[in-house]
Amino acid sequence: MESEKLGFYPGCTLEGSSSGYAESMLKVFELLKIPIKELDDWSCCGASSAHALDHELHLALNLRNLSLAEKQDFKELLAPCAACYHRLISTNNEFYLDNALLASLNDQTGLNYQGKVKVRNILDFLIHQVGIEKIEKQVSHSLSSLKFACYYGCLNTRIPRLLPFDKVEYPEGMDQIIKALGAETVEWSYKTECCGAGLGVTAEEISNKLVSKILLDASAKEVDCIVVACPMCHVNLDTRQDKIIQQFDIPKEIPIYYITQIMGLAFGIEEQFLGIKQNFMPALQI
Amino acid sequence: MVNSSFSYLHENVSYCYQCSKCSAGCPVAEDMDLLPHQIIHSLAIGEDSEALKSHTIWICAGCYTCAVRCPNDINITSVMDDLRKKSITSNLACPKPEVLKFHQTFVKDIQRRGRVHELRLMGEYNLKLGKPFNNVELAPKMFLKGRLKILPPKAIKGFKTWSKKLWNPKN
Repeated sequence: MESEKLGFYPGCTLEGSSSGYAESMLKVFELLKIPIKELDDWSCCGASSAHALDHELHLALNLRNLSLAEKQDFKELLAPCAACYHRLISTNNEFYLDNALLASLNDQTGLNYQGKVKVRNILDFLIHQVGIEKIEKQVSHSLSSLKFACYYGCLNTRIPRLLPFDKVEYPEGMDQIIKALGAETVEWSYKTECCGAGLGVTAEEISNKLVSKILLDASAKEVDCIVVACPMCHVNLDTRQDKIIQQFDIPKEIPIYYITQIMGLAFGIEEQFLGIKQNFMPALQI
Repeated sequence: MVNSSFSYLHENVSYCYQCSKCSAGCPVAEDMDLLPHQIIHSLAIGEDSEALKSHTIWICAGCYTCAVRCPNDINITSVMDDLRKKSITSNLACPKPEVLKFHQTFVKDIQRRGRVHELRLMGEYNLKLGKPFNNVELAPKMFLKGRLKILPPKAIKGFKTWSKKLWNPKN
């Protein structure tokens, strides 16, 4: 029954433009022998738009997925996309704080969620469930020659009214993982500064400005790579980087990798199984 | 509109004592016409009309920096969501139509099959903007890199009917 405990909520982006994130995560989990099963029949969490237009619509969309997870006997639901994670966990928390709201929404939507599912993000799960020791033991190709900037972004760590799984202002869990892989991580000021998220589509000039500051600081620290745990961060930092480094005089291109892609490399998984060819910026030289 | 409870829809804005921590940490403050603490102040005194017409509510990146730092636990990011909704239901002219159109196109795409088809979303958004070539320079590379899925995701059975009851795009 162990295998039925952890559910995987990919969300639209991991099924679409960031399928390399899902692919690398599943490979890494397979190697670590962590059973995980995709939530059957899942639907979009609404990010970045449903909550921007209607709070109840946002709650209902997430209620549907939480309710499916409960029905499918998942005790925990892992959402590697930071935006999906934020939507799911904040909905869950809102129901926890307001039972009447849950009852009324169950009623309106024809669902019957009891609030039993725990929502987790990839960093929280790797650090607190898998554990640094187990990750360290799996390393076959130490990344000792490399220097990384761990970029946490916004939505994995900033959940209002919830006990954080890491320090909100200066998280360190991802740094611990990268260090366990043998590499060095830098202290820097843009760990949790926003990349603009959806503004990358609707107000590109604002998002590019935010991304440029992140790239400049990482570049000043002479890192080989920036590691992310969010598809929106990845798209904003990676796919428009060539344009941004020209516009803002950033000295050189910086590879942008998902945490699970870096883990995969250190575990000796071949690049072709980690979706690395999807990254726009040049591949890391290991 | 004066709201007698001093709460703006979901959040009690009267707890605000104007420390301006929200504005100090906001990554997009320099592009805003009203700063976050000014938005909250206008709501706390019952004058939401300037806030509802502001650019601020449309360019808020939704990063939650203000919300987790607020010493009075006001979820300012969520207030921005509520303001957007109210500006739409009050039929106010949106100062950043490209943002509103994106959200509307996005929700419409969710309702179509339950999951977003990114290619169709971007195409439809461009048509709605009247800028068919917006961001197209990224498309060929996205495709070659395997990041652009041509075929739509599978449709979730019964989703369309279920979701139409919750949300009517004309709202």
